[in-house]
Amino acid sequence: MSVIQRHNIKLAGIGPATMVFAHGFGCDQNMWRFVAPAFEGGYRTVLFDHVGAGGSDLSAYDPQKYASLDGYADDVVELCRALDVRGGVFVGHSVSTMIGVLASKKAPELFDALVMVCPSPRYIDDADYEGGFSEAQVHELLDFLDSNHMGWSHAMAPVIMGNPDHPELGEELTNSFCRTDPEIAKSFARTTFLSDNRADLAGVTARCLVIQCSEDVIAPRSVGVYVHSNLRNSELVLIDATGHCPNLSAPEATIAAMKAFL
Amino acid sequence: MSGPQEADDLEDLFENAPCGYISALANGRISKANRTFSTWTGYGSEQLVGRRFLDLLNIAGKIYYETHFAPLLRMQGFFNEVALDLVCADGTTLPVLVNAVVRRDDTGGVRFIRVTVFNASDRRRYERELLEARRTAEQASIALQDLNATLEARVAERARALDRAWRLSRDLLVIARADGVLTQVNAAWTEQLGWQASDLVGQSFVAFTHPEDLAATQAAFAGIFEAPLTKPYEYRLRHADGSYRWFAWTGAFEEGEVYATGRQTTAEHEQAALLAEAEDALRQSQKMEAVGQLTGGLAHDFNNLLAAISGSLELMQTRLSQGRLNDLDRYMHAAQGASKRAAALTHRLLAFSRRQTLDPKPTDVNRLVAGMEELIRRTVGPSVHVETVGASGLWPALIDPPQLENALLNLCINARDAMPDGGRITIETANKWLDERTARERDLPPGQYLSLCVTDTGTGMPPDVISRVFDPFFTTKPAGQGTGLGLSMIYGFARQSGGQVRIYSEVGQGTTMCLYLPRHYGAVDAEEAPYALSTAPRTEQDGTVLIVDDEPTMRMLVTEVLEELGYTAIEAADSAAGLKVLQSNVPIDLLVTDVGLPGGMNGRQMADAARVTRPDLKVLFITGYAENAAVGNGLLEPGMHVLTKPFAMEALASRMKSLIKD
Repeated sequence: MSVIQRHNIKLAGIGPATMVFAHGFGCDQNMWRFVAPAFEGGYRTVLFDHVGAGGSDLSAYDPQKYASLDGYADDVVELCRALDVRGGVFVGHSVSTMIGVLASKKAPELFDALVMVCPSPRYIDDADYEGGFSEAQVHELLDFLDSNHMGWSHAMAPVIMGNPDHPELGEELTNSFCRTDPEIAKSFARTTFLSDNRADLAGVTARCLVIQCSEDVIAPRSVGVYVHSNLRNSELVLIDATGHCPNLSAPEATIAAMKAFL
Repeated sequence: MSGPQEADDLEDLFENAPCGYISALANGRISKANRTFSTWTGYGSEQLVGRRFLDLLNIAGKIYYETHFAPLLRMQGFFNEVALDLVCADGTTLPVLVNAVVRRDDTGGVRFIRVTVFNASDRRRYERELLEARRTAEQASIALQDLNATLEARVAERARALDRAWRLSRDLLVIARADGVLTQVNAAWTEQLGWQASDLVGQSFVAFTHPEDLAATQAAFAGIFEAPLTKPYEYRLRHADGSYRWFAWTGAFEEGEVYATGRQTTAEHEQAALLAEAEDALRQSQKMEAVGQLTGGLAHDFNNLLAAISGSLELMQTRLSQGRLNDLDRYMHAAQGASKRAAALTHRLLAFSRRQTLDPKPTDVNRLVAGMEELIRRTVGPSVHVETVGASGLWPALIDPPQLENALLNLCINARDAMPDGGRITIETANKWLDERTARERDLPPGQYLSLCVTDTGTGMPPDVISRVFDPFFTTKPAGQGTGLGLSMIYGFARQSGGQVRIYSEVGQGTTMCLYLPRHYGAVDAEEAPYALSTAPRTEQDGTVLIVDDEPTMRMLVTEVLEELGYTAIEAADSAAGLKVLQSNVPIDLLVTDVGLPGGMNGRQMADAARVTRPDLKVLFITGYAENAAVGNGLLEPGMHVLTKPFAMEALASRMKSLIKD
């Protein structure tokens, strides 16, 4: 299966440069539905699903490869090369901001600019670093996932990928914008919330935009400030929005910040 | 329904519905919560208003709400049946199912978000139980799969091991149908018989069986259906090269097929054949040796007798020429006596061949033994103490008395020979009642018998000797000293008389030989046949000669010659008696002795012993047998001479004369 199919890649827009949108933990490329169209006029836009999410090829999921963010970054490099991306813009949300950092370090020629929406290089507090979660809280999350609760399965896998065991789960339960395989989501959560990419920030050469929400339980302000101050060439924009998804809750502000940066 | 009443009703429904209702503003902050929700969570309405819904969730709920459900709500305007845990005011957790929907106004602006919360405590418990049951089932399934895998692995391992055993066996392994057609064979068949499996499978074992073994083999094969063949059955199988090989087979019949194992025994058969050949050769050489012994022994005996007869005739001729007719009777009797003994000798030979005519008579064995005692004593010599223990009330036996005497004497002579350094001979009689079992052991009909046992304190015999003592020609004595027929003749006599001979012997302890004799039911005649022992006359003359010979006629003849020559003769019948004379102070000018002598020593040994005290003793060996070894392999010491029987009396006389004169 080609990398295009593997990642359910959707291309749109016309422009000299390519803008690649990468979704974070929890959803798929739909996350960008209010933002990406705004750039189709000036860019070739690329939307894709990480392996294990949305319309990606689930059979390509390799627990070992995706146990670290490097595996996801390798995918980004691979798909960008397949699409002949050079000097483009990488727009990442949440954990994908760090995937973009890793990808741009692996292949600096791909991106001239990185847009980081609600980034976090480490979720767990560490000495002076305030990641937003105590180690106990992250383990509570992982334990909860490991309990493999049915309710979570229902919630996580609204379409359950055509799960034959649950044909009764009809459209009324279809949380169809956020398709994810519950087992893969568990692994992705583990990879995400145990990651620590603080040291990777230093080597980034591309220009960076850090978009930080004013009230975000997952990536608190202090984290945005940390990221910004550890990137050589970055700007920090604070959007007055609640939650972790300004691309959904405040798409206009997000688009404006991006356009201003670009 | 009027307005206020309806409003009250709706208010009641909102507040007390069986689910929690929350209204939130566009920014997610709670504007209103019903009483049911307050009751479940323990938060008062005033504590809830202004907070965000996700603030009420546990950490996992917060994260998932933020990463999954909030985006959903944004994108599709609702989410349904999301399982979350609310953290209540008292710190406990309330499992809930949450639905949320965004209510918009006509312009598309968010009016409020309606959140409906169902208490999922029961459902969550069922789910937990269901999950637990599923986990258990999965574990059981995994365990079962493991077990299956283990079993499969074991079965496979076992199959491999069996296959290995089948493949590596050096013995022939075969599975055959009940009709004898081979269905599976192992590689040993190729190795041991040169046949490929394809040559064998589909063929009956009959096709490979030696024709001579076929009937027995088919019978053995048929037997396997009755009972497993555990005692190896041997037969010959044809090798691909046409030769035959021996195999010892065991086998069993199970579930319609015969399983058998064949071990090659060709080498053992070849060895057995070689051994049998060697044994045959050995027997033949033993027979030749025995014939040699017999011939020598007979020649010795007959020469003695012939010497006596011809000597008598010669002296008769001399007397006739001298006109001394009144002495003729003596020589005639001597010749006749020698002839009778020669006849007795042939009789003994016939007894050995068990073709003699026995004349069984009721016999008082105690009396017979008593009558023999003196003779036995003299025969065995002074170094052997003879003791007789006759049972009182001994039954009469039905036997041929002279043959029994002969047997008893022979037993005593054997006993003596077993005690070269002297010892004790005990002659015992007893009544024996043999029951069924004992009789069977003794190979006799059950009933009443007498036993006559001769026990010595001699060297005893090892079992391999015991097993052969009755064989004709078997002897442990040096050549010329026995025909090897003694015990054989005793055995022949005992069996012919309806009795048996038994031997009890222990090396170093001694031997008991027992004759079992059939009981005579009735009285015994008072008749008795006493043994008269001849005593030689002695006269003092110019010289004294000691003559030692077990043949009385020989002694008489030599004595006659000596008296003719004017010498004094002293007679002794065996080496012991001879040595006694030699060790006394009696002056002896010449020792004339037979070489083969009873009494524990041969003539040479007696002479050597005598020369210890009489170093210059002159010795003339007269022998009827070329006992070179006994005399000294022809290397005689000075003063020792040999005269071979038969000889002319004249030759003897001149020889003795010249020796005494030297």
